[in-house]
Amino acid sequence: MMRRLAVGRLTQAGLSLLGQNVSGQWGCGGRRMVHHCSALVYREHTANIAAVRLEQLPLPALSRRSVRVRMLAAPVNPADLNMVQGMYPILCPLPAVGGNEGVGEVLEVGDDVHTVRPGDWVVPVDTGFGTWRTEAVCEEDDLITVPKDISVLGAATIAVNPCTAFRMLHDFQALRPGCTVIQNGANSAVGQAVIQIAAAMGIRTINIIRDRPNRAAVVKELQTLGADYVLTEEEVMSSGLQHVFQEAPKPKLGLNCVGGVSGGLVLSSLDYAGTLVTYGGMAKKPLHIPAKFLIFKNITLQGFWMTQWKRNHRQDKSRLRSMLDAVCGLVRSGHLTPPNCVRTPFPQYSHALHATLQPLQRKHVLLM
Amino acid sequence: MGVLRVVQIVSRVLVAHPVWSRPAPCVSYRSFSAKPLAGESTALVYTTHGEPSQVIKLGTLQLPSLGDKSALVKMLAAPINPSDINMIQGTYAILPDLPAVGGNEGVGQVIEVGSKVKTVKVGDWVIPRDAGLGTWQTLVVLSADDLVTLPSDIPLLSAATLGVNPCTALRMLSDFEELKPGDTVIQNAANSGVGQAVIQIAAAKGVHTINVVRDRPDLSQLTDRLKVMGATHVIKEETLRRPEMKELFKFYPRPKLALNGVGGKSATELLRHLQSGGTMVTYGGMAKQPITVPVSALIFKDVKVRGFWVTQWKRNHGHNDKALCSMLDELCTLIRAGKLSPPACTEVSIKDFHKALDNAMKPYISTKQVLVM
Repeated sequence: MMRRLAVGRLTQAGLSLLGQNVSGQWGCGGRRMVHHCSALVYREHTANIAAVRLEQLPLPALSRRSVRVRMLAAPVNPADLNMVQGMYPILCPLPAVGGNEGVGEVLEVGDDVHTVRPGDWVVPVDTGFGTWRTEAVCEEDDLITVPKDISVLGAATIAVNPCTAFRMLHDFQALRPGCTVIQNGANSAVGQAVIQIAAAMGIRTINIIRDRPNRAAVVKELQTLGADYVLTEEEVMSSGLQHVFQEAPKPKLGLNCVGGVSGGLVLSSLDYAGTLVTYGGMAKKPLHIPAKFLIFKNITLQGFWMTQWKRNHRQDKSRLRSMLDAVCGLVRSGHLTPPNCVRTPFPQYSHALHATLQPLQRKHVLLM
Repeated sequence: MGVLRVVQIVSRVLVAHPVWSRPAPCVSYRSFSAKPLAGESTALVYTTHGEPSQVIKLGTLQLPSLGDKSALVKMLAAPINPSDINMIQGTYAILPDLPAVGGNEGVGQVIEVGSKVKTVKVGDWVIPRDAGLGTWQTLVVLSADDLVTLPSDIPLLSAATLGVNPCTALRMLSDFEELKPGDTVIQNAANSGVGQAVIQIAAAKGVHTINVVRDRPDLSQLTDRLKVMGATHVIKEETLRRPEMKELFKFYPRPKLALNGVGGKSATELLRHLQSGGTMVTYGGMAKQPITVPVSALIFKDVKVRGFWVTQWKRNHGHNDKALCSMLDELCTLIRAGKLSPPACTEVSIKDFHKALDNAMKPYISTKQVLVM
């Protein structure tokens, strides 16, 4: 049972009006039109994601520091579903709108808003925004702009997974061209971003994937993205990686989003004084670490959580800005392409949510 | 006892690193009662890896002549540590060439120095700078560079047991988390050589320790002993899983630092109680089980899981005496102030080594076996 962390309440955009009877609020003589939006709302935490339903929500009036945003696209990420199910260390107060990532276009800004203008593309800076909706009214501070010369899909999927990949490649080991990184979950959105960003940095990647019927096609796809080596877990367990290490240096950085045996494979391949960074646990199994790796091979195990990083840098957006600029720059230059997504019209959200719970699925992105 | 084997005398050429490339000593075996001749050392030797009780034999080594950069050291006392046992068993990360003399730690007295030796003098107490030099013997010729001096105004048993466990404890308390008075450290194997040193060094720094030990019949006596040393709390492994821990953390801050010498479930429980952003340092694996780390601890609690090996630290700082000497000075200062006592020891004559080795392998033995020469 995961202990709930005291990371502070999440306040969603326009949440305060959820569930309230709005019509009496404006009083006599009020001429302001109340905007509504369609949103995917959940009113309880449950494993059954059919509890997420499309509802019409009133939007609050625009205040001096707030912004009205039209959502363009929002992906369905595993963590989004964990949050709906109540299986995440931070949870939105209920009822809540699902979705933590996405891109919107600014429609209207309050009089004291200076950092965004109508027409700008924006993404939320924090988890818990509630991006699965057609429109939102939020504080200026909740948003940061992204350039409009990258695709909608690119912008919608930029701020969580590619940024996670970027941070992991920069914050744990000083990597130079010619270095090697090893990762599991290589076909995930983060995994694919790691391959591409590493390739742009001149870093070689050793990529471990699960075996599957279309293995050869996936291997080819990842190689096209720039993967140097792609092996299945079974291949690594049976044949090892000695042949790789005859050509490439042992990795000082390992990235793990699976846990269990797969995490152990990444750990045991690391060079002396290497770091294993864990950012996910898709197998829902812990890591088993023989003491010798810690004592004699001086391996460090750490985790990475994009949400925590963003919160640590909330006061000073410049780090977030420069990371987004760097990552969007890679998109613009063609070094980083969004994952092969399934575009789902917003009304067909149920299919997207259910699919995300299944293994070996592509990323589903809701289009508003 | 054993056939007397006359073998060629080979001078023991010592190179700085790595330990395992040193030519092995030449051994002859004699009966226990024969006195060693001048120029001979009585040593605990093994020619193959295996269980210490079976492979360790008392033998006689011919000492090489003293080189101008070497020193002749009369060993005074040398403990039996778990890593010594692992080396003999062949399961340790570094292994000497065979045949080898057992023991990686101990204190000796310099009897003679070569003409170019400047760093040690006759009468000095010395300990080895590195592992693998073979301390379970009466006399040894070593390069002066392989020796570090200790003051001789500290108890002999402190000197004999200073270089490995207290150094490990001090480094773990210094190098991973910034600890301030009032902070808490949690550790398992609290009754081990490292554990007892952690309690005392932490207490001297005003740092609280939560000390996890295995349950045993004399638990309350053990608790008292550790508390006298400065332990804040002593709890048994089972208690880590109980709601009582919440009560404890009402009075003491959650630990930033966890020290693990056991592994397995014990280590996982330490992780559970660690503060967000804290570090667990592993220095041993007495349970011989891997550490189970839940992914959530790494991602959401931002804990770091690291290891420490004092031998590696000494090698990394080998070029610069200052770091090692200042660590030893700090420890000796604590010893002189009465704040760091050696672990409870059982002194055993080197010729009774069988008993010492057997005891060292017994679980719950609670005293460090120290061979005296």
